[in-house]
Amino acid sequence: MLEQSKIDKITSDLLGSIRLNKSFMIWMGFLGVSLFVCLGAYVKQLTDGLVVTGLGDYVSWGMYLSNFVFFVATSLIGMLISAILGLSGAKWAAPLARIAEIIALAFAAVAGLVIVSDMGRPDRLLNVFIHGRVQSPIVWDITVVTGYVLISALFLYIPLIPDLKICSEKLDKIPPFQRKIYKILSLNWNGTLEQEKLLKQSTRMLAILIIPVAMAIHTVTSWLFASTPRAGWDSTIMGPYFVTGAFVSGSAAVIIAMYFYRKNYKLQDYITDFHFDKMGKLLVLVSLIYLYFNLNEYMVPGYKMKKFDAIHLNNLFIGGHAVMFWMVQIFGLIIPIILLLFKKMRKPLPMLLIGIAVLIGAWFKRYIIVIPTMEHPFLPIQNVPLHFKVYTPTGIEILVSIAPLILVLIIITLLSKVIPIIPIHETIEQLEEKH
Amino acid sequence: MYRIKFKIAIILGFTGLINFQSFAQNNWDVPADKKSKNSNIEFNSGTAKEGEGIYNTNCKSCHGDIGKNNSLQSLKPVPPDLSSAQSKALLDGELFHILNVGRGLMPSFKEVLPESDRWKVIAYMRSYDKDYVQIISKTDPAKANLVKIKMVFDSINSKLNVEVVANEKAGIVKLKNAEIALFVTRHFGKMQLDKTLRTDNNGNASFDFPKDLPGDKVGNVELIVRVNDEIYGEIESISKFKIAVPTDKPSLTEKRAMWNVLAKAPIWLILLYLSGVLLATGVILYIIYNLYKLSKSNNNLKN
Repeated sequence: MLEQSKIDKITSDLLGSIRLNKSFMIWMGFLGVSLFVCLGAYVKQLTDGLVVTGLGDYVSWGMYLSNFVFFVATSLIGMLISAILGLSGAKWAAPLARIAEIIALAFAAVAGLVIVSDMGRPDRLLNVFIHGRVQSPIVWDITVVTGYVLISALFLYIPLIPDLKICSEKLDKIPPFQRKIYKILSLNWNGTLEQEKLLKQSTRMLAILIIPVAMAIHTVTSWLFASTPRAGWDSTIMGPYFVTGAFVSGSAAVIIAMYFYRKNYKLQDYITDFHFDKMGKLLVLVSLIYLYFNLNEYMVPGYKMKKFDAIHLNNLFIGGHAVMFWMVQIFGLIIPIILLLFKKMRKPLPMLLIGIAVLIGAWFKRYIIVIPTMEHPFLPIQNVPLHFKVYTPTGIEILVSIAPLILVLIIITLLSKVIPIIPIHETIEQLEEKH
Repeated sequence: MYRIKFKIAIILGFTGLINFQSFAQNNWDVPADKKSKNSNIEFNSGTAKEGEGIYNTNCKSCHGDIGKNNSLQSLKPVPPDLSSAQSKALLDGELFHILNVGRGLMPSFKEVLPESDRWKVIAYMRSYDKDYVQIISKTDPAKANLVKIKMVFDSINSKLNVEVVANEKAGIVKLKNAEIALFVTRHFGKMQLDKTLRTDNNGNASFDFPKDLPGDKVGNVELIVRVNDEIYGEIESISKFKIAVPTDKPSLTEKRAMWNVLAKAPIWLILLYLSGVLLATGVILYIIYNLYKLSKSNNNLKN
């Protein structure tokens, strides 16, 4: 058995972050003001219509859609770390599972809002549900995104039940209503064998269920593109291409979150260099798979150079989008892969910088997938002004695209102020197993 | 040196050609009898308002908003703004003729818009010219009501014979040398059959009727005869004939298909979707039931 003093230390260490301090207030104030500014831009869009954006007849899916794909993508990491690594018995990932689930839940929940920002008449949103057709990938997308948000919430909540009990008992200096909420949510947890068994079984079932659902959410998102015959989207590997790309951006997001949690919540004993080393290797693995899919996606049409594919590829490789394309491939994929092969680079600070580069690259990668294809329809564009042909996002569009990211940060910050971000119950359990 | 001169010559030649072309474009050569034609519809704010709607659907895409000089500049020749001095100088009859015949990129609107609509467009255009005074045609629009159009189908020769007469008080008058055209109604608008003819001295005209024209399930088609007479004006008559080839093509939205409404979605797709949704919902419900058991199991222990 583990000594009580050690258990107490772990508990107080991991509960330490659950308190409202000055830096939290400043950070939330900053996020709140930024969100307010961005919402102002959205109000302008609501009153004036989508004319305030750079969208038009030809590029009707612009920054908003690439933002949506990015958000859905990043949310997939919950499934990779908690479910795949958890089921395959990779114990090192256990302390990171909750961070991954928080990120997954926040990004997936906000993804639904991102798609609304692309609608000129969001008041007609209900019509998508009333008149939706099962033949449309959009209906499938709504179904799986909603399902994934629900499952992610359960997947965050169920392993949290024992910790909620600890919270209600061990946390002092919390208002009585908060203690009451912890108590209610902990569902009379008492750590009996039957309860342990039910908890394990439910977690395991969720872990299995979340894998196909998570695969579906990003595969269906890719079908929004792949079910059209347009150059650059008409590809059978679009599903796995999106899923692997999602792991890249999600891993980067987890690495960034790990760094800040470790630093601000003084979790150096729990999120160690070892975890960064492992996450670095995971990022290399998923990036290599993604690089492989990139090769397929561009080399196969590049070999045949069919008329419209040739226009698309020339535009990406040497044309108007070449700078962004090569920046994304080199700084968002190739250089991170090479750097992370060195042990020295898999330390917290270099990993943070690489993670940020990969995440930014991942965002622009979605831009590269959505916009160039829209700019080259099959029917020739004639007699239109230049801004119809070449898409440039407006300031309002950029602000409205930043808003979801702020919202995600707010959700993540709030969640990590009410629940322990490293599972206490599991950490103690794992230590007990070692003894 | 020679090559430069040659280039200059080519450039000069081209500019000359373009100048000549634009000169030619401005000169419509409207025949005298068409020039003197006038509307028997009064141009007032009401007809101008109606004309605005017709203008916006049929003319605006090239000519732009009247008075704003925003016509489509990429066309050759550039369509003029219709409040320009050059356009204002044209007589009503000339404008009407231009609408009727079209030229180059400008289509003929004669068979697209009824005569009254064409005049209303001109009424809208004139509403931008304060100095304009209308000369109303002396023809009596009520006279059109006297005209009777009789259509008879000759199945042996596959011809549609039309007789146009007017029931004047003094007796029946046969409309001679009146312009007459035959149309068939289709999904969008109408299609002209045969050429535009003129009635003979007995007020008769005979159109070739195509033998392969598809009709509805039993072969019905809707035929329109449009007569344009100097005295009686424009008269249209619509009637149904069972003379076309019966066509029973199943509609593309009749069977279950990817492009159909939800109620007619492919069954395999509905099954795939529902099975996924039901499976996931089932697992989630089971897990929620587990949570319920979990919360109860402790109570049992206490009791």
